[in-house]
Amino acid sequence: MIRIDHVTFSYGEENESAGGVQDINLNIEDGQFIVLCGESGCGKTTITRLINGLIPHYYEGKMNGEVWVNGAKISEQPLYDTAKTVGSVFQNPRSQFFNVDTTSEITFGCENLGQPKQGIRERLEKTVRNFRLEKLMGRNIFHLSGGEKQKIACAGVSIMEPDVLVMDEPSSNLDASSILDLRATLAFWKSQGKTIIVSEHRLYYLRGLADCFIYITAGQVEKDYSAAEFEQLTERQRADMGLRTFILEDLLPPETSPQTGKQMELHNFCFAYKNEPETLHISKDKIPANRIVGIIGNNGAGKSTFSRCFCGLEKRCGEVIWNGRTYRPKDRLNTCYMVMQEVNHQLFTETVLDEVRISMEDENQEWAEEILSSLDLGDIKDRHPMSLSGGQKQRVAIASAIASKRSILFFDEPTSGLDYKHMKEVANVLRQVRNTGITVYVITHDLELILECCTDIVHFENGSILDQFQMDASGLEKIWSFFLRGCL
Amino acid sequence: MNGVSFSETTEKGKRILLDPRTKLFLLLTITTLMFSTSNEGIMNIVKPCLSLVPFVLILSERRFRAAGKYLLLYAVCFVLERIALTVLSGLLSFLVLAVTSIMTRFAPGIMTGAWLISSTSVSEFIGAAERMHVTEKIVIPMSVIFRFFPTISEEYQAIQDAMKMRGIRFGGKNPLLMMEYRLVPLMVSVVKIGDELSAAALTRGLGAPVRRTNVCQIGFRFQDVFATIFCILCFILFLFQKQIIF
Repeated sequence: MIRIDHVTFSYGEENESAGGVQDINLNIEDGQFIVLCGESGCGKTTITRLINGLIPHYYEGKMNGEVWVNGAKISEQPLYDTAKTVGSVFQNPRSQFFNVDTTSEITFGCENLGQPKQGIRERLEKTVRNFRLEKLMGRNIFHLSGGEKQKIACAGVSIMEPDVLVMDEPSSNLDASSILDLRATLAFWKSQGKTIIVSEHRLYYLRGLADCFIYITAGQVEKDYSAAEFEQLTERQRADMGLRTFILEDLLPPETSPQTGKQMELHNFCFAYKNEPETLHISKDKIPANRIVGIIGNNGAGKSTFSRCFCGLEKRCGEVIWNGRTYRPKDRLNTCYMVMQEVNHQLFTETVLDEVRISMEDENQEWAEEILSSLDLGDIKDRHPMSLSGGQKQRVAIASAIASKRSILFFDEPTSGLDYKHMKEVANVLRQVRNTGITVYVITHDLELILECCTDIVHFENGSILDQFQMDASGLEKIWSFFLRGCL
Repeated sequence: MNGVSFSETTEKGKRILLDPRTKLFLLLTITTLMFSTSNEGIMNIVKPCLSLVPFVLILSERRFRAAGKYLLLYAVCFVLERIALTVLSGLLSFLVLAVTSIMTRFAPGIMTGAWLISSTSVSEFIGAAERMHVTEKIVIPMSVIFRFFPTISEEYQAIQDAMKMRGIRFGGKNPLLMMEYRLVPLMVSVVKIGDELSAAALTRGLGAPVRRTNVCQIGFRFQDVFATIFCILCFILFLFQKQIIF
């Protein structure tokens, strides 16, 4: 049983209230499945850290009140003891493994606690069976997909057999089918009677599993919904609360826009990474232009390879014919721009304004400011890009792309880990960009984003284009079947 | 991305399984003796023998192409070195000798080092260090450092791509600025990953005041004894080369 007793916490140096919590009072019974929901920065993550002891042992700040897990005071118990009862899975699969090989990664926790060798081997066997990891054993974690990494992370926690599992936005970097795998993992833990606490934006995959939804705003528990009560809410009400869709079937289709008929021709898009089999094989195809095109498909389907090739990052791959002109990879490097999932990688300068100016052929202060204000960045033009929020960084990257007069923009998972409000914002920005005549391609696993703004869909599978369609009534059917395959 | 990274596997049976400690001793022997200046008498035999060691090791990993390349490179340099010593003279001899002797001295050590890292998994490394009674305060940071090489190379690659897309137009002008553009985002993301990694490791009991167990099997076996005797023999020959009449 977990008891959070009048806890108030604020993170150290910054006096901002962002992320902290006030007077949290929760009792979580054994075997319950709790979902913490609310907008970004509302304090969900902080609550997970209170339970796994990272607060106050790792993240410093001012704390009042007490957290008890199975009768032990978390603040007075060292982290390695808490680790025996509370297992944690985090948001970013890239940064939570300590070893390079999968097998030692799974046994890592047990080894740390000094459990006997033979016991660990037995547990390993059991875990591998339960999580069906036979194929992933003895592999290099750096070569696994996000979904596979997350599965290893779950197995590495599960092997320690904790009573309580705490997950912080575990789905935010996963594709549709990996999310279903995650759901299966959660269902398995639930069946074993574990207490589960998930902090999450995406809610649909938790439907039918969670017993209780705790809605948090500004660091306080606003309301505590039972699963039935939460189900009763309309999508409208949930949207007003800033929450993502819970019942995917209730999502409304977008307004369809007439097809422009403009297309880009792709020739010889075949590509293999060094010493690896070919991952992309499109000898000739056409994709829509001057639209917002969603690119979907499971991990390994060739979406990111395609986007890298299209943007000219791979030097020898394919030709694009558009408006009667042939674009070779080198030409495309100056025509296309990719806004990466990890935006931190593509911002280099000291101020937002510099970031835009540096992309221009001839520096033009007025136009730079115009671009910035059109993307709602006018007020922060003198700030350091690294000090901005994720969404703002994304818009700075877009601004620099517009400034360099690119006519094709690629987005790689622009809404991973975003709440409803920010997802809406991204959709608006995409539409705005499209209205200036720029073609937008979005690689995404986010059904809500697709329904919000995509006009067309290109579906990748096994390195080629399996299907492409407009987002009309029949397109909607197809997109349902892709996202809901085997779900619920 | 395969650069310097610990091995992905702890499964046995795939290769000549040497204990990490034996591997270290091999590396020590090869680097020390290959660097030693003397190139006469018995050392003329010992050195080529030693430089065959990395060839055999890489071959045992079934990396035939890499092994072949190494052997070819070494053979060419070795032959050229002899030619430079005997046939050539003057500046040409000096130049050829300089290049080839650097190659013949460095290549075996580098190859053995690379093999050591690529054939040892993090847990084997930790296990071996524990048996050598190295404290955890050194072992854990060391293993994190090696865990970080592939991460850094992944991040660096992504930044490189982003710069390519932004156009080289703002590059070239100022090399210092180019350094800054690369290092600032790299540092920001590596620090962030490091922070999250420590948090994740702590919630999995890292740092518990108990003796850490290690599932992987390390220990001396027949091949280790053989390799060790080989190394000791080489050292003996090296130390007593003057006494040995050849």
